[in-house]
Amino acid sequence: MKVMDRRTLVARLREVVGAPHVLTRPEDLVVYEQDAFLVAHASPDIVVLPGAAAEVGTVIALARAAGVPVIARGAGTGLNGGSIPVAGGLMLVLTRMNRILEIDARSRLAVVEPGVVNIDLSAASARDGLFYAPDPGSQGVSTIGGNVGNNAGGPHCLAYGVTGNHVLGMEVVLSSGEIMTVGSPAVDAPGYDLAGLLVGSEGTLGVITRITVRLLRQAEAVRTLLAVFETIDDASQTVSEVIAAGIVPTAMEMIDAVVMRAVEAAIHAGYPADAGAVLLIEVEGHVQALPGLMERIAAVAKRHRPRVLRQANSARERELLWKGRKEGAGALGRLAPSYYLHDGVVPRTKLPEVMAKVAAIARTHGLVIGNLFHAGDGNLHPTILFDPRQPGMLARVVQAGEEILRACVAAGGSITGEHGVGIEKREYMRWLFTEADLQAMRRVKDAFDPTGLLNPGKLLPDVMSSGAQADVKSPAFSVRPRAGLWS
Amino acid sequence: MSVASDQLIDRLTSELGTDSVITDRATLEAHAVDGLVPRAVCSPGDAAQVAAAIRVCGEAGAAIAPRGGGTAVALGNVPHRVDVVLRTDRLAALVEHDDANLTATMEAGMTLAHLQTHLAQRGQLLPLDPPRPDRATIGGIVAASTNGARRMFYGGVRDLVIGMKMVLPGGEQVKAGGKVVKNVAGYDMCKLFVGSLGTLGIITEVTCKMTPLPERALTIIARDGGSTAEGSGAFRLIDALFASTLQPSAIAVLSPRAGELVRAGGPGVATAVAVEGFTEAVDRHVRDITGMAAAAGLSAEVLEGPAHERLWAAVADFPRSREGEALVRLTVPPGAVATAVDALSRVDDSPVYVAHAGAGTIWIGVEAARAATVFAALTSVAGAQHGHAVLASAPPEVKRGLDVWGSPPPALSIMREIKQRFDPQQLLNPGRFVAFL
Repeated sequence: MKVMDRRTLVARLREVVGAPHVLTRPEDLVVYEQDAFLVAHASPDIVVLPGAAAEVGTVIALARAAGVPVIARGAGTGLNGGSIPVAGGLMLVLTRMNRILEIDARSRLAVVEPGVVNIDLSAASARDGLFYAPDPGSQGVSTIGGNVGNNAGGPHCLAYGVTGNHVLGMEVVLSSGEIMTVGSPAVDAPGYDLAGLLVGSEGTLGVITRITVRLLRQAEAVRTLLAVFETIDDASQTVSEVIAAGIVPTAMEMIDAVVMRAVEAAIHAGYPADAGAVLLIEVEGHVQALPGLMERIAAVAKRHRPRVLRQANSARERELLWKGRKEGAGALGRLAPSYYLHDGVVPRTKLPEVMAKVAAIARTHGLVIGNLFHAGDGNLHPTILFDPRQPGMLARVVQAGEEILRACVAAGGSITGEHGVGIEKREYMRWLFTEADLQAMRRVKDAFDPTGLLNPGKLLPDVMSSGAQADVKSPAFSVRPRAGLWS
Repeated sequence: MSVASDQLIDRLTSELGTDSVITDRATLEAHAVDGLVPRAVCSPGDAAQVAAAIRVCGEAGAAIAPRGGGTAVALGNVPHRVDVVLRTDRLAALVEHDDANLTATMEAGMTLAHLQTHLAQRGQLLPLDPPRPDRATIGGIVAASTNGARRMFYGGVRDLVIGMKMVLPGGEQVKAGGKVVKNVAGYDMCKLFVGSLGTLGIITEVTCKMTPLPERALTIIARDGGSTAEGSGAFRLIDALFASTLQPSAIAVLSPRAGELVRAGGPGVATAVAVEGFTEAVDRHVRDITGMAAAAGLSAEVLEGPAHERLWAAVADFPRSREGEALVRLTVPPGAVATAVDALSRVDDSPVYVAHAGAGTIWIGVEAARAATVFAALTSVAGAQHGHAVLASAPPEVKRGLDVWGSPPPALSIMREIKQRFDPQQLLNPGRFVAFL
């Protein structure tokens, strides 16, 4: 491949998107060397902030001609290192493309550019009584494009489903620079469900420049129940039994003692600091239906000796309870200099068993692990607290994290429920998938991006050479040292 | 063909056993696809046998038409070739029902009715509503992406499938997803296979999310008695429903002739609204919807028990293929259903349709003789509303003259790349999918 001179490429990029939207100075680039996966970083060579799909198309075509990888990025809140340019290259930051193009209230859909911040869409739809359901913890800053790239979840996915259930179609720029429409505002577009494939593809198949999403009707009423238990096992049993009783609340979140103490110290959300675990259970619906539903849930909880069962009596009280959940991770920051937020999933029936394993793993490694997570989905977020300055600490943290994920897999679960694979979990993909399974995924990658231009080194592990052990464990997030594309 | 029939059949028989490879004339004719009679019908007993059969066909260059209950055999273009029909009828076991996790794993050939019977004993259901659930198999429903009336509330096939196992055209046995309700490990390969109509691989096992059986379920049926312009009262009611916080599980608008077909009773356009859930919520819906119907100038009646169940079974059965008739599936954004239905009456004096107003899917029955003309007209209607028209069923002589999927999708080049990489030999359902892929 003929590599275009860097100076020429930058000059051409400036013509396409305007000089202020092309960043090349090290002090500007450093902002983009990391996302919320805090343990790795790598600097892009050039950052481009396009303003329209046509610009994205031209930029990708130029990058392709120059032989430079292209990495798409939204707000950089991803937790798997998916936007870290491990091989350097050109980063496309899509935050300037932040217009809500259409809200069709009657069809309950919206058309947005990828840089629209998640919560802004719900705010804009609220005047029609609608909202955008996926609500990742980062929704105040993360972009819908990034959410789509990672198939983001959130607490209310229990009832409403993840991002993929709400994306109807999109416009995507392929690695050829061609702009293509997949899916449509009407269901069942003929052909393969490429929109479904692109959701969660972590920028490895195309760069999304426009998204058509489903909106939902806001419920008439909401009730939030706080249930405090002496042990995490009681809370886990309650979650499993509520689901088994045929009740699917809108959200069912668990907060363990470690997190509760941190939250109380930080914001006084009203959680008892000495209990074993708290469940935050929310139901939405009609005023006539909710009291009965709350009674059924309370009846299940009562079988597990709750210390407190309390309904939020006002919107303010509900907000405070949720604030404790949403800011839990931040509050954990007060307990240790650093933390590693994990993401695993298990069948909901296995929650009590796997939570006990997580506690055992923490004991074995002498680590403090906090848990605040989407219990109703079986989606765990064990958060390992540590001080990176302690010698050998990072290795122990990584080891404990891997043991937790292996426990999830052994219980019939998965290595990630909503954070994605990125660079963090590439090698762990082998724990779930055979080489044949992975090869099928590589065919998809090759169909979209035959030269591997888009976000290289993410999502899929490298092809296993014959004779290698299927259960290889390698450093999950080593970033290859490199000399730079042009040096 | 590179290999003679008897040699192919010998090889299949040695892999699957004599009883699992059928070649008698009557059976072969009963398994014809659009009039193309296969050389053999085989029924592998497990995924390994499916893989063996695919390999044998691959070596012989024999085209395979995968088949579940045969209820969607009319969907798609006339295949280029059909040499072997590969049935999943011997893959019919329930692998696991993790009822407390609200998930179940089934072999592909299990019929939906069989699954529902099992689930009902444990207070659950899989909320899919294909025609002929006594014959429609899980694998077939997933491969054809057969969605029904309750999609607006429970989601479609693509939303309910969380894992699957497939055998690829090279004979590789692979899996996608898993048995957890949230999973973002790698590409969502389930999405690729849902609706791929057996063109990328043969699905052998599927894991789905289940839902609790509702405490109460009933229908409010609202009729205009033939008094208003086609469907105008119905769509006033539906607009009111959409403006409210109500959450019906299905809304079907039945044209007068479709109403007769599903025996919905009474003249004129009928709007059936299904409501499911806890008693208090259902009562609230009945009260509000009855009021909305009155305000829209419609008379409303509540159907419960067997009457409710019969109606929705008939609605689900409406899009089944019928001798001498064709069927068009029109999909539009939900807000455009009224406009599309209005346009139907300009295409046909007395249209036969069932419109799923919540999902935006309209099924239209057409006489075979007029199918090509009506399909062309409906393609324009769909185009004007950012939707799609598919000729979902028609006699082969009608299908041969057109692409039943409509004009090629904008992303055809990528679809072709995918097909090429999964099935370079064009073994699986060649020619049947979009743009004759």
